[in-house]
Amino acid sequence: MYKTAMLAKDMVAASAKPLLLSILAEGESYGYEIIQKVREVSGGEIEWSDGMLYPVLHRLERDGLIDAEWKEADTGRQRKYYFISDAGRKVLKAERQQWLTVHNTLGKLWKLKPVSI
Amino acid sequence: MADRSQHPGKIMETQTRFDLTAAIENWRQELAAQPDLTPEVRRELETHLRDTVAELQQRGLNKEESFWLARRRVGQPKQLCEEFAKADPTKIWRERMLWSLVGAFGVQLWLETSTFVWEFSIQAIMVMPSTIERLLPDWVLFYLPLPTLGGGFYRTFHNPLVSMFFSLVPMILTVILLSRGRMTRIASATRFLFESRRRFLFVSAALFSFYLLYLCFRLIRYSTMAATVPGNPPLTEMVQRFIAGLVLPITLLGLIAWLMPKGKSPNQRRA
Repeated sequence: MYKTAMLAKDMVAASAKPLLLSILAEGESYGYEIIQKVREVSGGEIEWSDGMLYPVLHRLERDGLIDAEWKEADTGRQRKYYFISDAGRKVLKAERQQWLTVHNTLGKLWKLKPVSI
Repeated sequence: MADRSQHPGKIMETQTRFDLTAAIENWRQELAAQPDLTPEVRRELETHLRDTVAELQQRGLNKEESFWLARRRVGQPKQLCEEFAKADPTKIWRERMLWSLVGAFGVQLWLETSTFVWEFSIQAIMVMPSTIERLLPDWVLFYLPLPTLGGGFYRTFHNPLVSMFFSLVPMILTVILLSRGRMTRIASATRFLFESRRRFLFVSAALFSFYLLYLCFRLIRYSTMAATVPGNPPLTEMVQRFIAGLVLPITLLGLIAWLMPKGKSPNQRRA
C-alpha cells in the first residue's frame, strides 16, 4: 500500500508523525490536502497512499496530538479538518530535536553543513 | 488533429454511459461491508475519493477514467480495512491475549497428560529387555546395562520428581529457544495454524479429542481397578473431576476462537 519512490517503508512509518504534525502546525488541513502538500514539499519523493495516511491521522487524534472537526469547505462539501493541539506542539518540538540530532550526526559523517537545533 | 483527439473520448462516453453517482454509491456499499471501518471513517474516505475525482476531471480525464483512477489511489476497500485494523491499538493486546490463551491451553493439556506419557514410556522401556533377551545371545546381554523391574532404572525414573521435571521440559525448551532467538522459525511454522479459523479449530478439536480419550481411559481404569479399594474416593467424585477437567480446555478453546483474527488474509502476512 505504500507508494514510495525513494523512501523505505520503515522511514515512511517513522517520519509520518513529525511530517503530519509539522504540516498541521502551519494550519488546519484535511487528508487530501495533506497528501498533496507532502508530495509538493518533498518534490515528489515522498508519496503517501491514502490507506496509510488516515490510520496515522486517527492514531494521532486518539493520542490527543491533533484534533478534528467536520466543516463545510468552499465547495459546499463537508470535510474533516485536522488541527494540532498543544500536546501535539510539544511532541513536535521533541521530535524536531531528535530528527535534527540524527540529521546532524549523519551530516558530520557525510560532511554536510549542520542545522541549528 | 483536434478533431481526432476529441473523437475517442466522445465515443467512449457515449458507449459506456458511465454514471458517476452510481459508481460512487457502489463503492460506498463496498466500503460499508468492511467490518472495521466506522461510518465516520467511510464518510471521510468518500470526501477523499470525491476530491480526487474532481482533481482528475480538472486535469482532463473523463468521468469514468477519473473514478477508476481515484478508486485505485484511495485503495481497495478490503486493503483499507486491513490498514485501519493494523493501526488499531487494541489489536496488539488482542494478539497477546490470544497467544497467552493458546499457551494456557497447551500447558493445560500437556500437564494433564504428561505424567501418563511418562509412565507409558517407562512401561514401554521396561518391556523392551525381555524382547531383547529373546533376540540376542547371552554373551552380548552380559555386556548390556538393561533395566530390570524393581532395579535401579525403574526406581530412578518411576519417581514423582523426575516425572515433574519431564513435564516441565517443553516449557524450559521453549524459553531456551526464545532466548537464543531460534523461536521465530518455529513460530512461523505454527503460524499456518492460525491463518484460518477452520484449520485452527480442526487441529485443536483433534488435540482435544485425544485429551478426552485420555480422560475416559483414566476414568475407566479407575472404575475397574481403584474405585473398590477402601480409602479411595468414590467413582462419583472422579466423574466430577472428569467434568471439571473438561471445563477449562473448552472455555479456553471458545475464547481463542473468539479472539482469532477474522477470516484469512494472505496480504496481511508480512514478507
